[in-house]
Amino acid sequence: MSDHATHLAPGQVILSRLSGVATSGLTTAILVAVLIVMPVMLGGSWIFTLGLCFANSIGVLAVSLLVRYGGEVSIGHTFFTALGAYSVGVLDTSYGISLWASVPLALLLGVMFGLLFAWPSRNLHGIYLAVTTLALALAVPEMINNFDTLTGGYEGLYVATPFIPGIEMGLQRYYVALFLLVLVCLAVARLRRSRQGMALLLAKTNAAAADAFGTRRVWARLSIMGISGGIGAICGAALAFSGSTVSPGGFTFWQAIFLLVGSVVSFYGLSLTRVLIGGAFVTLVPQLLSASGAWIPVLYGLALLGMILLGHYLPRIREMMSRKSEAA
Amino acid sequence: MDLMTNALRGEGIALSFGGIKVLKGLDVEFRAGEITGLIGPNGAGKTSLFNCLTGAYSPQQGAISYAGEALNGLPPAARANKGIVRSFQHVALCPDLTVRENVMVGIARNGKSGWLDAFLPLPRGIREREEMARSADAALADLGLLDVGERFPGELPPGMQRLVEIARAVVGKPSVLLLDEPAAGLNNSETRDLTKVLRKLASTELAMVVVEHDMDLVMSICDRIYVLNFGEIVASGSPEEVRSNPDVVRIYLGSDEDD
Repeated sequence: MSDHATHLAPGQVILSRLSGVATSGLTTAILVAVLIVMPVMLGGSWIFTLGLCFANSIGVLAVSLLVRYGGEVSIGHTFFTALGAYSVGVLDTSYGISLWASVPLALLLGVMFGLLFAWPSRNLHGIYLAVTTLALALAVPEMINNFDTLTGGYEGLYVATPFIPGIEMGLQRYYVALFLLVLVCLAVARLRRSRQGMALLLAKTNAAAADAFGTRRVWARLSIMGISGGIGAICGAALAFSGSTVSPGGFTFWQAIFLLVGSVVSFYGLSLTRVLIGGAFVTLVPQLLSASGAWIPVLYGLALLGMILLGHYLPRIREMMSRKSEAA
Repeated sequence: MDLMTNALRGEGIALSFGGIKVLKGLDVEFRAGEITGLIGPNGAGKTSLFNCLTGAYSPQQGAISYAGEALNGLPPAARANKGIVRSFQHVALCPDLTVRENVMVGIARNGKSGWLDAFLPLPRGIREREEMARSADAALADLGLLDVGERFPGELPPGMQRLVEIARAVVGKPSVLLLDEPAAGLNNSETRDLTKVLRKLASTELAMVVVEHDMDLVMSICDRIYVLNFGEIVASGSPEEVRSNPDVVRIYLGSDEDD
């Protein structure tokens, strides 16, 4: 891309970028419009699955954000999704309080625990930080079972309180997850243009330069873990509402790995389209392979490899095709 | 205020890594209204001195102060808040940000918008970004870079990247500007442009310090020069004094090992 841009006049570069932004905005708008009308065309099970897909996309976004703005990898984000899910589950089953209150609570807890985790681990990087997040993921199911009076233990909790009373619950489970996903994507897009977002990106690329311009490394680490933890918790809240049940099985170490896989498959993208690809991989591939018995891990690996190769070669294939069409 | 008191001073700065003494009790003064050159062979301790002045390194001995206020112990971010900024020997721009945004980062610390403004389209955050973009454009225009504001650093030649770094450093109207080898990797034409830019940036309020190997550039723009060798100041004075100093000629200017 950079080579291409180098050969363009400045005016052309701006136009090319603006058209890119417009295309991206238009694609997103069309995608959202299609997703809004989707329940009219699809059956109940698909609506349910897509709701989960939207929720998982939020989790994928949380992991990708940590990579893109913090330069770090997490294999323990189920800790934050569990926080969000049980905020919704506990408030719903114990107090009959709906998402109006439980989503803000989930966000608050996610940010708070993100900060609490970031402080002691502020000087860890790369594989060391990743392994530390692994500890979070491994601890989650045990913690849930130990607090069984609150969490319902293995049996879990059932989320039944509607977000907007009077509207069919199946539709709510779909639209709430979609709404939260779009909202988080818009918020992340704004972050990119904010002074905090720009400072975080510089801190990720060159911590010494960021330091020299007033951005402390510790601030950067705490900020990105807080944001990523908060978004992870919103993912959990959406999963709880869309999936209708909250149980320890949804927050295992493997689930944390799947979120990371979704992030890799989406090439750490933060746009709605990209995170949906990641979320769809996390949600749909295991379902599609569910009848394959012992072959599931092998086929999952092949699907992952296929997606990565496709993402890697697609731009080249597109370029070749455009060259051929120009030649023709 | 007396401009002479607006000086960045280092007294007896000593720094060592393990048993190796990198700086051996340096006394330096960088005054507002002057461009000071810092020259010496590779390994003389120039960048280490920069790192001590900006807080990246903590010297084991010595006092660093600006306008009479002690800076020892202050982290780089706090020194940046006092108007002491620097460029880097290796270009340290963010490839994910446009040129304009890279310059905006130079004043991001002064922003008042909070986290809500970062995530929501609130008027304060939008207004602040527009103001920051205007300031960045003004700095880019001063350096002749306005046309490339929307581009990404990777799309620019090394000379322009250096200038973008300088734009980022000056956008916040610093009181002390430390430039670490600003001409490194530039061709003759780019170095000539850089020389013009540095002359243009000089002002009575700004103490500019330039670490540089290009002697023509140093001799043509600097009011005073410190010559370092093995962590010690071996000479200081005006360009003419330094040029005629036999020690300097021997250890640096006349040596074939400089490069």
